[in-house]
Amino acid sequence: MSAPTLKIENLKLGFKLWSGMVEVLHGISLHIGKGERVALVGESGSGKSVTARIVLGMLQEISTARISGSLNFEGIDLDKLKPRDRHHLRGTRMSMIFQDPTSSLNPVYPIFTQFREVLARANPAIGEAEARMKAIAALADVSINEPERVLDSYAFQLSGGMNQRVMIAMALANNPSLLLADEPGTALDVTVQAQTLKLMSDLVEQHGTSVLFISHNLGVVREFADRVYVIYKGRIVEQATTKQLFSDPQHPYTRALLSAVPRITGGGIPDIAEDTAGFLDPLIAHPGASEKERLA
Amino acid sequence: MPALVRILAKRLATSLVVLIGVSILIFAIARIIPGDPARIALGPNATADAVAVLRDKLHLNDSIVVQYGYFVSDLFHGDLGISLYTNRPVTRDIADFLPATLELVFVSGLMMVLLGIPLGVLSARYRGTWIDHTIRLVTLLGVSAPSFVWAVILMLLLAYFVPLFPVAGRLSDGSGFQPITGFLLFDTLARGNLHAFADALWHVILPAFALALSGIGQAARLVRSNMVETYNKPYIEMAEAYGFSARRIARRYAFRPSLIPSLTIIGLDFAAMLGNAFLVESVYAWPGLSKYGVAVILRKDLNAIVGTVLIISAMFLIVNIIVDLLVSVVNPRIRLSERPA
Repeated sequence: MSAPTLKIENLKLGFKLWSGMVEVLHGISLHIGKGERVALVGESGSGKSVTARIVLGMLQEISTARISGSLNFEGIDLDKLKPRDRHHLRGTRMSMIFQDPTSSLNPVYPIFTQFREVLARANPAIGEAEARMKAIAALADVSINEPERVLDSYAFQLSGGMNQRVMIAMALANNPSLLLADEPGTALDVTVQAQTLKLMSDLVEQHGTSVLFISHNLGVVREFADRVYVIYKGRIVEQATTKQLFSDPQHPYTRALLSAVPRITGGGIPDIAEDTAGFLDPLIAHPGASEKERLA
Repeated sequence: MPALVRILAKRLATSLVVLIGVSILIFAIARIIPGDPARIALGPNATADAVAVLRDKLHLNDSIVVQYGYFVSDLFHGDLGISLYTNRPVTRDIADFLPATLELVFVSGLMMVLLGIPLGVLSARYRGTWIDHTIRLVTLLGVSAPSFVWAVILMLLLAYFVPLFPVAGRLSDGSGFQPITGFLLFDTLARGNLHAFADALWHVILPAFALALSGIGQAARLVRSNMVETYNKPYIEMAEAYGFSARRIARRYAFRPSLIPSLTIIGLDFAAMLGNAFLVESVYAWPGLSKYGVAVILRKDLNAIVGTVLIISAMFLIVNIIVDLLVSVVNPRIRLSERPA
């Protein structure tokens, strides 16, 4: 196997406050192979989203953030890159999809203007006609019927599902090797979310794009991911293939998480035991997981 | 752009309704204020007969509705009546005094926009740094004192102690320049008299700056707060995730959307300068309409009051229409909602 698309080792993140340091990530390690779709699952505040932003280098711009550990992207140590070169990866080799598609698009410019800006990240000299052609092709890929009309529309004129497709098309337009999907479509209703995720799933498979899929929705993770890391309070507590994790959850937190999914047969949202002592147990790695990550 | 034409037509129609309302209101208020305008105009020594004759001439003995009828029919002939204060047609007074005020307010407004907005943008882009803190402190000063205080302070500092600028007036004595329209900055250029242009500009800077200061402060603070709020929107994060440059994000992702709420208020501030101009005009002996308006109110000069207020309201409405058009250019939502169904 060649170098993994993304390899994170012992990543720690803290914020310096007046009262001292607050550590948010306590040393997480994960890797994503080429073309692999990996989910990072956990509750709000567990550190999922900050992980994606560190990979992009966005948190590094906050002066109070203290980050350590190593980030390796396609065999390159990201921290050894010049800031300029690292910044250049954004929107070209790595891209990101956000929770709420409609509010993630600029309200005062039509879709095409933003699409062109995205395409210009990879090819700054791109002309109007070429950008339009590429954008139309990209929108057709996400099953948008009237790409011309959509390009000349504003985000507020389109439905949430349509905007989500636009976001997916933008994210894949420059053919990145890594897609960071931060709770994509959580703001949409479930059927639209399912449709667009299916679309995204097909496309990344075609493009061979690796995906870090961040979610709290286990149903979606089960559909979409090859492997799963469960994160709790800034620590990875369990990692396994999707199949292993859902059939045989080992860590107390994972079990609690899985039992928290409301079932159509059961009476509403199940209770979760108050006793959370076991949630901070050390990492449980299922057979086949990498040695390094086992130690984390 | 047809959408803009439609917006313009709509605003013009509503403005006309507002103007009619204002005319009725100010017409009634001017007549309700206690005191007999004829008596005030003729002075305490005039005979009762003379006062009665003038009252009759001004139709003051008729009912207020009939008086308004006379006023409207005169208005359609371009006649606002005779001012009892200057003994000249009100229209001529307005033509004489309005350009001075408009010139002052226009230069002030330009200063407000050209200084206030960039300061706000700078402050927002470097939010939390010393640049931001300095700008916020300085603009707070601008907001916290009324314009006439600034007028006096600036005059003392920059015209009296350090005589960089003239103390009063619109042109230096003995310049002998003959205005055409009354807009001196325009007239001097039209005549190709650069010397007089520089002179007029030199005279307008201090009063305009005094009038603009609070507007500059307000515009800067408003632009800053709206832009900082916009910086927290998801589309800014998306732009950052795509690696757009900080400059591009500031201009196209933070400033443009944040301009929509800012513009409306800046437009109102601009229009409010017409009223605030009075004290600045008084301090700098600026022969403008605001000063004239206050003088005629104190003398209960009915025709002049109504005429002045109508003209100032019309200016206010024109500024508002311009702002509405600008907002709809910046805000696609408004523009698109004007599409024919």
